Amino acid sequence: MAMVEIQKVRRVYHRDSQEITVLDGIDLQVPEGEFVALMGPSGSGKTTLLNLLAGIDRPTSGSIRVAGTDLGTLSESALARWRSNHVGFIFQFYNLIPVLTAAENVELPLLLSRLGRKERRQRAATALGVVGLSDRASHYPRQLSGGQEQRVAIARAIVADPKVIVADEPTGDLDARSAEEILRLMETLNREFHKTIVMVTHDPRASQRAHVQKHLDKGVLRDQA
Amino acid sequence: MKYLPFVLKHLRRNWLRTLSTVLAMSLCIFLFCTLRTFVAAVTWNLQSASGTRLVMRHAVSLVFNLPISYEQRIAAVPGVRSVARSNWFGGSRRPNDYKDFFPNMAVEADTYLPMHPEYMLGEDQKKAFLEDLRGCVVGRKTADKFGWKLGDVFQLESFIPPYRIGKPFEFVIRGIFDTDPVRYPGTDTSFMFFHWKYLYESTGERVGVGTYVIEIADPAQAPAISRALDALFDNSDAQTKTETEAAFRASFVSMAGNLALLLNGIALAVMFTILLVTANTMSMAVRERRTEIAVLKTLGFPSSLVMGLILAESMFLGALGGGIGILLGYPMIKSLPEIPFIGDAVRGFPNLGLSPSIAAFGFGMAMALGLGAGLVPSILAYRSRITEMLRQV
Repeated sequence: MAMVEIQKVRRVYHRDSQEITVLDGIDLQVPEGEFVALMGPSGSGKTTLLNLLAGIDRPTSGSIRVAGTDLGTLSESALARWRSNHVGFIFQFYNLIPVLTAAENVELPLLLSRLGRKERRQRAATALGVVGLSDRASHYPRQLSGGQEQRVAIARAIVADPKVIVADEPTGDLDARSAEEILRLMETLNREFHKTIVMVTHDPRASQRAHVQKHLDKGVLRDQA
Repeated sequence: MKYLPFVLKHLRRNWLRTLSTVLAMSLCIFLFCTLRTFVAAVTWNLQSASGTRLVMRHAVSLVFNLPISYEQRIAAVPGVRSVARSNWFGGSRRPNDYKDFFPNMAVEADTYLPMHPEYMLGEDQKKAFLEDLRGCVVGRKTADKFGWKLGDVFQLESFIPPYRIGKPFEFVIRGIFDTDPVRYPGTDTSFMFFHWKYLYESTGERVGVGTYVIEIADPAQAPAISRALDALFDNSDAQTKTETEAAFRASFVSMAGNLALLLNGIALAVMFTILLVTANTMSMAVRERRTEIAVLKTLGFPSSLVMGLILAESMFLGALGGGIGILLGYPMIKSLPEIPFIGDAVRGFPNLGLSPSIAAFGFGMAMALGLGAGLVPSILAYRSRITEMLRQV
């Protein structure tokens, strides 16, 4: 069963009077438990495609079905609720909230759930344990290295136990060693926790860790040669 | 409640900015409450004006007295129940020193007392007062302030030239009046009155009557009786102006210009200024957090919740500033009469103090300011698209 089904998706932006077609008739199927790498040059539409399947942007035309839900049928508030339950997002620049500790950052998505305070903290601690940062729970982002920040971001992405994880260049801002740690962690999430992962990357070494590599060029998706 | 720590942490993020905004808000609410207190103090004793009492004065100015002979003619007008002479004495305990000032008047006691039921006085005290020419009655507030009791003697000296007789007037306290604030709101218990006859005789029987207080049977007849009374003296040297007690007191308030309008105007300007300051703070805070807002929305926070968090932050600023302003306001307004220069200006206000209603109104204004300041940034956050905010980073 496909976790992600994208059919004939077009995304057109309007800049002044110009019409810019970023994605042009994309079809993509990602089976459950798959680890897919999306590659391509800057401006090829990788991030746009990732945003669409994460439900933070809407296509100009075409349909997107993720985890059995047709995202086009959801209102803005329903889409927000859907995101909180089904998608974990990992950003290139971590995007942790600087005034919150690592544990509080991880707990953030759980504030939207009906869980009590104690259970939220337990789950956040568990997620931090998965990424190997239990001893950094009370640290603020400024007290962490880039690799550690990204691991906290991963813990935040998995804490609500989403089916799909989307990652936008998760190793793009990291040194080689930290990048390796993050990629290994993502492999673990895919292999042991059966998360479906769609990762945008420029880095060929990173893309090698995925099961499937897709290449986007000028808004058109191709299988990696 | 689970979002409260999140809101508080953001307020601590730039604590210097938060602190300065809270202090500005506190100062604003303190000024607002102080100005509202002055307005309330200025208009306070209008509440105690009776509908059955008219006040007649010289048509030209209060400076001029009316002839004593008018009293009998006033009493003969249909609808008039009784008439009492009264003169503002303007006495102070030390010449030209108004630090301990309290209002004082010479009144024709045997008619004045029955038409002023708000001055609640025991029968024995009333009798003692009526029998003693130097006797006086003081309000509870003044008696308590100076620790006076029945039989105590004190002196007052007037600043009004005809009443300056080369020595102070001496008074014996024969009565201390209380009031019922529910039945007679606005009654000033710092007031003191004494016998008009004492003033008259002490000044060589040369003074006239400052105002006649006239009790009428039917308040609905007040305009007609006022016109009839003024018509009575139309062709005399001392023409009169008769009006209800409320109108008479209101004219005192307006003698200082439209003080209430001026003070309310200043309060409004202060409020508007702080609205701009707080709105600027909130706009900066939200602009700095565009990425975080995008992240929250990405994580699944609905736009309405993000908007609510920003509004909560802004209203918390308002509540904190308002609370501090009011807490500071209570003792500071009380101590205003003791402050040099300012004290001289406000000492005459009866019951000067921050009332619970003004404090509640001030706090409400602080919350409203917080809400107003956060409204535009929160709406912008509500409308913002995740992808656009992430792209602008």
